[in-house]
Amino acid sequence: MISLECDNLFSTWREQARWLLSHQVDPSQVSWGEAQAADLFATDEPIPPGPGPFQARIPKALLELLESAACYHGDQRWSLLYEVLWRVSHGDRTAMLAGDKLGSELQRRIKQVSREAHHLHAFVRFIALPAEAGPELPEYVAWHEPAHDILKSASQHFVGRMGRHRWMIATPLDGVYYDGEQLIHQRRCPEAWQQLAQNVEDPHSAMWLTYYSHIFNPARLNPKVMEGHLPSRFWKNLPEGKLIPGLISEARTGKQKDGQAKLVGAKPGKRIANPVNVGAGLPAIAVDQSDVG
Amino acid sequence: MEQLVRVAKLLREEHDFRGYIHLKTIPDADPALIAEAGRYADRLSVNIELPTEASLQTLAPEKQIVSIKQAMQTIYTGEQTVFNEPRAPRFAPAGQSTQMIVGADDTDDSTILHGAEALYGNFKLRRVYYSAFSPIPNSPKSVPLAAPPLMREHRLYQADFLLRSYGFSARELFAGPGHLALDIDPKLAWALEHREVFPLDLNRAEPTLIARIPGIGLRTTQRLVDLRRERKIRFEDLARMRCVLAKAKPFFITSDYHPQQADSTSVLLREQLRDRPQPQQMGLWG
Repeated sequence: MISLECDNLFSTWREQARWLLSHQVDPSQVSWGEAQAADLFATDEPIPPGPGPFQARIPKALLELLESAACYHGDQRWSLLYEVLWRVSHGDRTAMLAGDKLGSELQRRIKQVSREAHHLHAFVRFIALPAEAGPELPEYVAWHEPAHDILKSASQHFVGRMGRHRWMIATPLDGVYYDGEQLIHQRRCPEAWQQLAQNVEDPHSAMWLTYYSHIFNPARLNPKVMEGHLPSRFWKNLPEGKLIPGLISEARTGKQKDGQAKLVGAKPGKRIANPVNVGAGLPAIAVDQSDVG
Repeated sequence: MEQLVRVAKLLREEHDFRGYIHLKTIPDADPALIAEAGRYADRLSVNIELPTEASLQTLAPEKQIVSIKQAMQTIYTGEQTVFNEPRAPRFAPAGQSTQMIVGADDTDDSTILHGAEALYGNFKLRRVYYSAFSPIPNSPKSVPLAAPPLMREHRLYQADFLLRSYGFSARELFAGPGHLALDIDPKLAWALEHREVFPLDLNRAEPTLIARIPGIGLRTTQRLVDLRRERKIRFEDLARMRCVLAKAKPFFITSDYHPQQADSTSVLLREQLRDRPQPQQMGLWG
């Protein structure tokens, strides 16, 4: 049994896997683990230095799949990838397809990772630091808690979005800072970044909360679908997260028959006269325009 | 409308906003303004509001179907002008969409979906959004004061996907006027009406036909096609893919599986496969 440590870096794992494959080391003979929690069955088998004789050929698409699945936090994070690599390089391409037992797990991980990248794009809320903070500090900061290692690749999205503004995203593990020209990724998020991102006060949060509770349409409440799109683990870091349980229970206790938030319904509003029927004294018409498009 | 376009322009030019902008235009907007809006917005839309001209006359008499369709035509022409012209200024690269309220009057699903099909054909809309009518407090008595028909909305979206992505036509889904079934999805309804097509052999059938099997979507179809290039498809492969096996089971054959239900009547299958409403606790006081 060979026990390896790749420091959760894909590039390191890739070198190790290439070397293992060249020596035809079977997946059952190798494991990756944290440095502290070495494998129970690990032995100090002599490791032959230098590349071995086996020349593996793999499709380019596989490398991309492996790199994406490598971001997944879970059991056998690295050994699963080696098993896929082993099978494909020995001519069994089904290992990368969803119909295969191993392939379906690989595809499931890739899906989770891309979903987590989407969550970053959807739920990062940048908060502007006061203008007098100075050029050493970012203009916008955000705190986010992703379930997988997606920050480095997925935060590229904001480079296109934010123009030349300076921004920073801190997470419990890593962090990124864009200085207006380049994206800097820190594998261990500096504590100063974490402090900054977690303690910043949003001057506009009251306005946002008012807006959020007013556009809530109790008639359309579907908690199961909402939980799917906005998993509750993100609620604690979103300002509106505190409002959601209250809005749900309001809808459940009678508001669900109305297509309007309670606070909006209490306002007087205005009536639009029906131009055809004005003379006849027929009632005016109000069409609900709850927006989905 | 001028002010809306100005907001989009400011966002793009002064604030360097590069994200997605969806701009709603009003039916009688000046075509020059729509052309300008297309430069800044990713998607443009003009709401058709209601499924038919008659419903529009009753419920939103200040709007006219003619001017709504004219605005759609203006947007469509704008898209066509820059189509395949890489150096032309951009015009609403995410296309146009529209939205209609469903359930505010008695228009049936057949009329709604034939209408949507015409919009997809005539103006190359990307999406039609259906929104179940939900009354607000103090609505007039001419509109239904009931909880919004969310299940009907869901079935309309399912049928809409069949039109846009699965190669179905509205005529295939409706023999005549009427509604979609609420207890089964429209693809299952079609399959039950066309038992002569099934069961399909997943190892041989055309991908477009595989996608017509209830419970098997476009993604699973692609996965099956990828897999059968490498080896024969077996029953257990289906279980691992993300498909609704219970619904699909009577309609396909694999190298190791032939459905027992192939000879069941459609009436019996429907009874087995229909969605059952969640049991509700009855109110204590009636």
